[in-house]
Amino acid sequence: MQRRPFLTCATAVACGLLLSTTAHAQTTINVAGLADFAGPYANVMNDMQGGRLAVLDWWNKEFGEKLKVRIAMKTYDTRYDVAQTASLWPGIKAELKPALVLGLGGPDAAALQQRLPEDKVPMLFGTAAYGFGWKPGQWALNIRPTYAHEAAGFLEWFRATKLDGKRPVKVAIITSEATPAYADMAKGLQSYTKAHPDKATFVEAIWTEVQPADLTLQVRRLANAGTDVIVIQTNTAQAVATKRALQALGKNIPIMLSLHNGVAGSSRALGDANGFAGDFEVGAIADASEDDTTARKFYRMLQDKHGLKSSWNAMTMIGLGQSIVAVRAIEAAVKAKGADKVTGEAVHAALLATPFTSAELMGLLPGVDFSVDSPFPTGSAKVNVATMKEGKVVRAAGDVAVPTVPKW
Amino acid sequence: MDPSGIFSTSYARDSALVRTRAQWLALALFGAALLLYPWLASPRLVAVANLMLVTSIVVVGLQITTGYAGQINLGQAAFMGVGAYGASVVEVKFGLPFWVAVPVGGLLAALAGWAFGLTAARIKGFYLALTTIAAQFLFVFVVLNLPSSWLGGVNGFSLEPARLGPLVFDSDRALYHLFLCSTAVMVFGAFGILRSRHGRAFVAVRDDVAAGMMGIDVPGTKARAFVLGAFYAGIGGALWAYQIRFVSVDQFTLFNSIWFIAMMIVGGLGSIVGALIGTVLIRIVQEGITTLGPDLIEFIPALSSDIVFASMNVFLGLVITGFLLLEPKGLMHRWNIFKATYRLWPFPH
Repeated sequence: MQRRPFLTCATAVACGLLLSTTAHAQTTINVAGLADFAGPYANVMNDMQGGRLAVLDWWNKEFGEKLKVRIAMKTYDTRYDVAQTASLWPGIKAELKPALVLGLGGPDAAALQQRLPEDKVPMLFGTAAYGFGWKPGQWALNIRPTYAHEAAGFLEWFRATKLDGKRPVKVAIITSEATPAYADMAKGLQSYTKAHPDKATFVEAIWTEVQPADLTLQVRRLANAGTDVIVIQTNTAQAVATKRALQALGKNIPIMLSLHNGVAGSSRALGDANGFAGDFEVGAIADASEDDTTARKFYRMLQDKHGLKSSWNAMTMIGLGQSIVAVRAIEAAVKAKGADKVTGEAVHAALLATPFTSAELMGLLPGVDFSVDSPFPTGSAKVNVATMKEGKVVRAAGDVAVPTVPKW
Repeated sequence: MDPSGIFSTSYARDSALVRTRAQWLALALFGAALLLYPWLASPRLVAVANLMLVTSIVVVGLQITTGYAGQINLGQAAFMGVGAYGASVVEVKFGLPFWVAVPVGGLLAALAGWAFGLTAARIKGFYLALTTIAAQFLFVFVVLNLPSSWLGGVNGFSLEPARLGPLVFDSDRALYHLFLCSTAVMVFGAFGILRSRHGRAFVAVRDDVAAGMMGIDVPGTKARAFVLGAFYAGIGGALWAYQIRFVSVDQFTLFNSIWFIAMMIVGGLGSIVGALIGTVLIRIVQEGITTLGPDLIEFIPALSSDIVFASMNVFLGLVITGFLLLEPKGLMHRWNIFKATYRLWPFPH
């Protein structure tokens, strides 16, 4: 071989190796995304998943490139089934070696809550928490406080603004015994009213089917008892049945919904775009209101620059909220330990040690501060209250403080 | 049935489960493969096998109640739940070891099965199906409404890993061997029961309205079928509790009961081996769908997650529907036809 061609080839190979070394200098941190594309939440999963992926793409470009870190998510369909999650987990752990898991709901927590501390991988949920998960030293963490905390925040706001703080709010809840999660909502609310009799009085818990056909008799009982607010945090079907009962009785008792069964979705199910006018949806996460909030601006930016196709709704918000906490926690772990030392344990430590501000979380959440004692934010927890006006979701109050609720 | 000219020359040979040297050899090789499996397979496949083993016990129980005794049972998951809760209470509240908790879980489920077996003695068909569905709802209602200090209420139960002396079953590999032994014992027991007079009574009650006239205690036989089926479900549930180490009511739904029935149908009604094959096959399809999904999306990004996973679920539904339409007697029926043809070859079946 002549000298010149040899040198040319050698230079090309050296450049290639150099480039390859540069590319490899970027550390990839794996995240496992648990999803339900074939189970009960299949119809809303795409919005949530879109939110998750857009935030990761945004973070990788805006922060990851500077930190030489790329967060990669692999999604697994659990069908919202405990058995499926349990059988998937050993494979996820062995093949992906995730530093964090983005969970979906109860089955993921049930299947993994005993294993995560041993495997030292934290899991984040975008939904509100439950009382039965309120134990110290958890590795399955919720970015929102419990449903009872969210309802309690709303009730104190309602009492101050609608009743002028003159008397306790008379509150009733409509829920179901079909799942522990639904039953927990009522037990948590009872715990709050018992601890704060000057703020709220518990009228009754109506235990009904998950998909009730008619609630007229039960709602009449609540109306006769002078109920000020009916809390429904379960699903759209119960919200619609309650609304129909109120309409049939000619009563106008405000309903407090959660985000996943919020006023817009429930109105659509009712067949009246303005059906839940005057009712409220409450969550410790940005609401999908039409107002020009920080969260809305962030959403628009993700649409424009990062291919977010999910609609502006609560499920997208849950996906966005869950992944923004995830990327900020990984960012904190990278800064604390170095990119190549980010393990599940490091991310868990970062989650517990770092208070994330609302600004860092792009206005999607009011701030998140986990502690060893509770697997959800308490100190920084605030709720947003949205209502419906002329068929549109508008914010009624923002950053309403969440009171203390005793464990139940 | 053996071909003409082949017959047993002793009672021991006639009653033997394994009859030829070739069968013994095949069984020994299969047993060795099962024992070595955790070292040969990936962690995920070991976890899948664990689920298959636990589910097999539950489906074998359902096979006894429905496949052999003809008593429809849509509440097998509830009986499984009773076993899981029973074992959890025994371990968490009384601090007894798992080898006590698991049989107690089974016995408590059998007690629940006995209560429903009594109704089976009086009603049948559609009404019995409805009654067993009630078991599902009753189970949830009881667990959630009893004082939470009794059954954990909405909080459920968290369990420590199963221990046997110095052995701690805290990994999938360790659990595999525990579940394999348990399944082997339960399956062997099922074969024994079904070859006894009780097993013959089950089949008589299922196949012939004149079973009573033949001297068979029909109500008692039906109740026994429920007790046995529920006992199996309870043992499966107790083992499940030690696998997940967290028990709550929403793990034992009507949907699970329907899956157990699907496994039995695919394998073949009235066959213990059919129950095992059905369980393995359905679980393989389920796991295959879940495993292939993310890879498909990775290789073909144009396919979004919702399309891939939803299509896979449709495929799973088609497999079950296809069996019901094309081979309602299940895979074991097809296997039996093949076996008979093979034995008679080259003569036509």
